[in-house]
Amino acid sequence: MKSYFALFKMTFKGELQYRAKAISGIITQLFWGAMYISLYTAFMNSGTVNGFTIPQMASYIWLGQAFFAMKYVNMPKGAAKEIVGGNVCYKFTRPINLYSQWYAELVGQKLSATLLRFAPIIVLGFVLPASFGLMLPVGVGEFFLFLFGLVLGLLMSSAIGMIAVYLTFRTLSQRGMAQILGTITSLLCGSFVPLPLLPQNLQKVISYMPFRVIGDLPFRIYIGNISVSEGLVQMAIGTAWFVVVVVIGVLLLKLSQRKTEIQGG
Amino acid sequence: MYGKFVKIHFKSMLQYKSNTFLLIASSLFTSVAEFLSVYVLFSSFKTIGNWTFYEAALTFGMITAIFPFVECFARGYDEFSKHVVGGDLDRMMVRPINIYKQLFFSEVEFFKLPKVLLGVGITIFSIANLKVVWTFAKVMVLLASVACGCVIIFCVMLVGAAFCFFTIDNLEFVNVITNGGRELCYYPINVYNKWITRFFTFVIPFACFNYLPLSYILGYGNLPMWLCAISPLLGMLFLIPCVLFFNWSLKHYQSSGT
Repeated sequence: MKSYFALFKMTFKGELQYRAKAISGIITQLFWGAMYISLYTAFMNSGTVNGFTIPQMASYIWLGQAFFAMKYVNMPKGAAKEIVGGNVCYKFTRPINLYSQWYAELVGQKLSATLLRFAPIIVLGFVLPASFGLMLPVGVGEFFLFLFGLVLGLLMSSAIGMIAVYLTFRTLSQRGMAQILGTITSLLCGSFVPLPLLPQNLQKVISYMPFRVIGDLPFRIYIGNISVSEGLVQMAIGTAWFVVVVVIGVLLLKLSQRKTEIQGG
Repeated sequence: MYGKFVKIHFKSMLQYKSNTFLLIASSLFTSVAEFLSVYVLFSSFKTIGNWTFYEAALTFGMITAIFPFVECFARGYDEFSKHVVGGDLDRMMVRPINIYKQLFFSEVEFFKLPKVLLGVGITIFSIANLKVVWTFAKVMVLLASVACGCVIIFCVMLVGAAFCFFTIDNLEFVNVITNGGRELCYYPINVYNKWITRFFTFVIPFACFNYLPLSYILGYGNLPMWLCAISPLLGMLFLIPCVLFFNWSLKHYQSSGT
């Protein structure tokens, strides 16, 4: 356990070095936020959705932009290169578990990328007027559940990232299947279109899937679109899914590890 | 000579069949997912501003065709920092061939082309569903706006490349204008906030292949029709300052020392 924590700390500190990249990322996120809010405001002015207001939508978008680095499905830095290039065999020889090793790195990397980026976006969101700014959380209970949801979302998106690692192992390309997985996740966790804007029956189907705990669920608890009691139930579903996704990831990675042939060189 | 280079790039792509297939599948998948989100939004809201689904599908189809088409052939500009960092650029400059030409030769990404077909498909789908009486002038405006779109997307990549002379590394905010601009153009630009609309009409003229010619074709809006009709031609003038800026930056470039 100690060695995994050390790996987590190492990647965490490593990512903190990229400050210029973070500033550029913040500018990017602000642009996307402004664009999406403007777009969905235009949509919502020409029709209404059950109970989802424009200030709620704006808050949903800003939270999504602030925690983008956490939601985005990616792989541990260098993992793809190691897998395609073959250097991964050095990882095999270490006396620690491959999945846990990469998982710890991935969580550390995502966490520090998020911590570097979220604060300015949140602050700016609070400063902006209500119709396109970020609102305060509806209550204390909601706020704590939101924080818990963020942690769960971070763990879940990292677990999905590990499935992407497996797909890279199988196909030896990070831009094919792994990218498709990323697109599916973005679509179903509300990164493309806020899920409350979708038709009801579609929302219901998505609420039983593992993806919405990344982003959509905590954000909707924060803005009061989902009550605490319903949020707890959804969170339980999310936690169960998290366990399932990790188990699948561990098994798949073991499988591919057994099948891997070292090609020499 | 360009044909020769294109052939080489095409052959090299065919060496990695399964990889190419996966790349095509994943890039098509993203576009289909994005188009589905547009469809779902319109099924919830029916209209955005004054625009209906098929009208928005026309802008979506056009940009989905234009963007990968430019990306396919102008990849060398999009990935310009690689040439600067790697020192390829210094080598290019001592060759007796125009630098613009060499950048077009340096990379051709054929796997982007199926996406162009998807975009053309969506465009045709929307035109088939729109009740527009097509006149010769309208067809010409549509074709001109496609050409204008290619020119403007290329211009944005060119300016992004010119920034690399000073910053060496690729800047993420350039990515905002290219990829952000692409997503912006999924919808007629005047649905956005007036500042966004103004910026992308007068500073970076995305509107010239987006809602302006569309207003002419559909006969909407309160702008003079003749202005909407010639807007794609005006948009192409954007090439002049961009080329001047690139040339000026090239003159001030002092190798990255690799």
